[in-house]
Amino acid sequence: MKVIAVMPAFREETRISGAILGMKPLVDAIVVVDDGSGDATPLRAKEAGAIVLRHSLNRGQGAALRTGTDAALKLGADIVLHVDADGQHDPEYVPALLEPVKQGKADVVFGSRFLGNESESIPFARRLVLAAAKRFNAFALGIPHRVTDPQSGLRAMTASAARKIDFRQDRMAHCSEILRIVTRSDLRWIEVPARVHYTAETLAKGQGGVSSPVAAFRIVWELLVGAFS
Amino acid sequence: MLAIQIFILIALLLAFALTWRRARQGAVRRLEALAWSVVWITGAIVVARPEVASWFANTVGIGRGSDLAVYLAIILLLILAFNLYVQHHRLQREITELVRKEALKDLDRV
Repeated sequence: MKVIAVMPAFREETRISGAILGMKPLVDAIVVVDDGSGDATPLRAKEAGAIVLRHSLNRGQGAALRTGTDAALKLGADIVLHVDADGQHDPEYVPALLEPVKQGKADVVFGSRFLGNESESIPFARRLVLAAAKRFNAFALGIPHRVTDPQSGLRAMTASAARKIDFRQDRMAHCSEILRIVTRSDLRWIEVPARVHYTAETLAKGQGGVSSPVAAFRIVWELLVGAFS
Repeated sequence: MLAIQIFILIALLLAFALTWRRARQGAVRRLEALAWSVVWITGAIVVARPEVASWFANTVGIGRGSDLAVYLAIILLLILAFNLYVQHHRLQREITELVRKEALKDLDRV
């Protein structure tokens, strides 16, 4: 089975090589979508052996992820893997993420930071925000409580699931949007444990800004406007 | 009738005529034209007979007709602002589609 990893990257010139090299032994190909970084990100990615696509303008993580997913499907992927480009997703947990899809037990597998393998050093404030995001997802967006990690960027899916998940949110609302689509469809989904390494560097970058309480409302606002357009 | 009333009535009449002209040209959808017509006609009634607004305001529990007009204007502006957001969002999406199409072209060269 052909597994293609998709990494949306924005200004990750210092981290992307590590992320690619860590993921390389586990997948057949890696598609990096440089989201208009304007730095050496695409160069470093190419050097590390990834297929590099470039957004000429910065369109957001969701947009880059969608471009990468479309590319992976065009390249004939049987399984599409979404993974962050800053190396915060521990490759050690990727085989367990792919396994249920390979065995045909699930169409979509989400990596969760809150299933047994508690991530090292999740700051307290971020924990609080994630807990709030979960409640918020349940009430405002109708994403079931069963989802333990509503903002996880690590997921694997079959090609047919990837085709079915028509997510259109360009910015940070795409995580919630994907969850909403998947949990409301007849796709079989599960969560498996995953670990995230937070470093001072990745935290400073804000990781899509999900860490600010304002972000939760922004996500709802984006989804609301998105529903009308 | 005051001069200001006459001016506003003429403006509203022109707006009404323009709305339907644009609807005939297909620039505005029929439903939209109808919605705008309601706005123009309501405006004309209130301008010509301000006591109608006061009467209506009283029946819905608002003290003065002018207060009602302000409330309605705020609601209308909110709707318009939201519409603008939606259109802005649509435009953003189109830009993304364009950027994506361009990016995927590189795939053929891989």
